[in-house]
Amino acid sequence: MAFDRELLKGSIALLILRLLSERDMYGYEIIQESVRRSKDAFEFKEGTLYPALHQLHRRGYLRSEWRTGETGKQRKYYGLTAAGRKAARRSEQEWISFTKVVNAMLSKAPS
Amino acid sequence: MTYFDHIVARVMLQARLPGNRRRREVERELRAHLDDLAEEMRSQGYDDEAAARIARMRFGEPREIAAAFASVYGPERWARRILQSTLLFAASSIAVALVVGTVQSLAAMCMAAPVLSILRDIHQESFGFGAITAGYCSLYAGERLFPGSLARAALPCVTLGLCLAALFAWLVPQQAALPLVAFACAASARLLQRLEIPFLWFAGTALPLLIAWVMIGRLIPCREFPWLVWPGLTISCKALREIVRLFERVFGADFA
Repeated sequence: MAFDRELLKGSIALLILRLLSERDMYGYEIIQESVRRSKDAFEFKEGTLYPALHQLHRRGYLRSEWRTGETGKQRKYYGLTAAGRKAARRSEQEWISFTKVVNAMLSKAPS
Repeated sequence: MTYFDHIVARVMLQARLPGNRRRREVERELRAHLDDLAEEMRSQGYDDEAAARIARMRFGEPREIAAAFASVYGPERWARRILQSTLLFAASSIAVALVVGTVQSLAAMCMAAPVLSILRDIHQESFGFGAITAGYCSLYAGERLFPGSLARAALPCVTLGLCLAALFAWLVPQQAALPLVAFACAASARLLQRLEIPFLWFAGTALPLLIAWVMIGRLIPCREFPWLVWPGLTISCKALREIVRLFERVFGADFA
C-alpha cells in the first residue's frame, strides 16, 4: 500500500529517531531498513532523507561521523545523542497517543 | 560528468549551503548514497541508462532536495551573510582610511608640512571614507543580489546614495559634496571594474570627480593639492577590489 507523501514526510523524523535508537546507521542503510521493515510500503524519495537528517543533527538530536564500513567504503554514520533519545521516546509516545485518538475517531460509535 | 554527478551538482547549486566544509561534506554524503544506489542497480543486472532512470525515481527531484536543504540551513546562511557583510564593510573602511591617509601623508611630506596635519579635518573626512566604502560595497551587494540585471543591481546603490545625500545635507551641509562625489566615484569604478578591461576603471573615479569639479569647483578648497583626491579614490577602489576578491576566496560560495 502506498502512503500519502505528506503523511510520510511528517513522520520521517520519528522513523529516523526510532531506527537510530537501535544502532548507528548511514543514510542508505536507514532507507534499506525502513523499506525492509515496512515491507516496501514506505517509498519516500531517498534524497529527502538527508535534509531531515541534517535538521535533526542541527537540533542536537543526532551525532555523526565518517567511518569505513565493512566494504571499505567511507560513509557518514548517524547516531542518537542523549537529547535525541529523549526526543525519540517523546515522539513515539506522541505518535501512539495520536494514532489512538485517530483510531477512536475512525471506529464506529456504539449504537 | 556522469548522471549521478549531475544530480549532486544540481542539488549543491540550488541548496546554497553555508560553509565550504559543509558543502563538501553534503556532496560527499549524497555521492556515497548514489554510489550505493548504482551498485544495487548493477547487482540487479540493470544497464547504465536504466540504473540512472531508477536512481532518479528513487532519489527524488534535485530541486526538491535542494529546497529542503536550503530551508534547514536558511537561518545560518543569513547569519553568515550578515557577519561577512559587516566584516567586508569594516575591512573596506579601514583599507580606504589607510590608503587616503597614506596619500595625504605623502602630500604633506612633499610640502614639508607636519604629517599630523592630515588629521586636521579627520571628522569630515571620515564621512568620505564611509561614502567610498558604501558606494563600492552597495553596488557589489546589488551584483550579488541581482546577478542577472545591472539595472536591478544598481538599485541598492542608488537608494543608498539618495539616503546619504539627505543625511550629509542635514549633518554637514557645507561639506556634503565631497563624500557624495566619493560615493559616486566608488560606485562608478566598481561598475567599470566589472568590464575587466585593464585600467579602464580609472575613468570610473575620474569622470564623476571631473563633473563635480566643473559644476561645483574645487572639492577641497583649503588643501594644497586638491587633485590628490583622484589618486586617493583610485587606489582605494583598487584596494576594495582586492578585498572583495580576498573575501570571495576565503568564504568561497558563501560570498560568490
